[in-house]
Amino acid sequence: MKTTEDIKDRVTNIFDSIDAIETVKVSPFFKDKTMQRLFNDKEETISFWNWFTPKLQLATLVCFLILNVIAFSQLNTSTYDENVNQLAESYGLSTSSETSLLNQI
Amino acid sequence: MEEQDFINNLKTGQQFAYAKLIDDFQQKVFATCISFVPNKEDAEDIAQEVFVEVFNSINKFKGDSKLSTWIYRITTNKCLEFIRKKNTKKRFAFLQSISGNEIPLDKTNYFTEINHPGILMENKETSAILFRAINQLPEAQRVVFTLHKVDDKSHEEISEILQKSVSSIESLMFRAKKNLQVLLENFYKNEL
Repeated sequence: MKTTEDIKDRVTNIFDSIDAIETVKVSPFFKDKTMQRLFNDKEETISFWNWFTPKLQLATLVCFLILNVIAFSQLNTSTYDENVNQLAESYGLSTSSETSLLNQI
Repeated sequence: MEEQDFINNLKTGQQFAYAKLIDDFQQKVFATCISFVPNKEDAEDIAQEVFVEVFNSINKFKGDSKLSTWIYRITTNKCLEFIRKKNTKKRFAFLQSISGNEIPLDKTNYFTEINHPGILMENKETSAILFRAINQLPEAQRVVFTLHKVDDKSHEEISEILQKSVSSIESLMFRAKKNLQVLLENFYKNEL
């Protein structure tokens, strides 16, 4: 069983060990690697997305929304009669079938 | 005025300005990173992230504080962000271990594997215990303790970086020491 004194000594040793940490030098290639990342990455990003400015992004979003609204409203305008006619035509019950060549003869 | 010219060059993305910035700050930024994260490779990665952030955000720098203070603020935030991510992964690994996947529990703690060239071999175990205990402190106390005791920054410097008064830094430091003492004592009591 550890005594309280022993524990206190070990805690003090841990606090003292902070002072024993030596300075670590950064890698000699750090600057080159960082410069390359800063400037090469930037050029790539700019050349690819430069044309897509925030104004264009907004315009694209607005167009997308308008198209969606139009498409949605078109879907809702189909009336009950249209639906019935479509059903009738598909089962050959439509009045427009009278206009066939056989009926005219 | 000289610093203002330098900042203007940074804002216009001048390559020579960034070369000078890295020359002036790479060691200091890295020292702060390795104080928070006791792993050389990870500390270098974070330091690189700091310079990328400076590059991307320099136009937001209004000059309310010194450039160095602003850079240290970014450094501290990047380190905390990194530790938070590591702790999230640790929790995920813990969940995996209880759901049947074999991951040894002590390996899931980031601070159990120290790769700090400045820590002597005989102090490795002690340092791992210390870093693990520091990581259990509330964030504000952890930051102040690390910047002051490990990174060797003065209370005044820390107060500028964290935008808090010197007295609140002293109070956080006092509480951090006290909590660490309790954490370490409990650790040794439970060791047997």
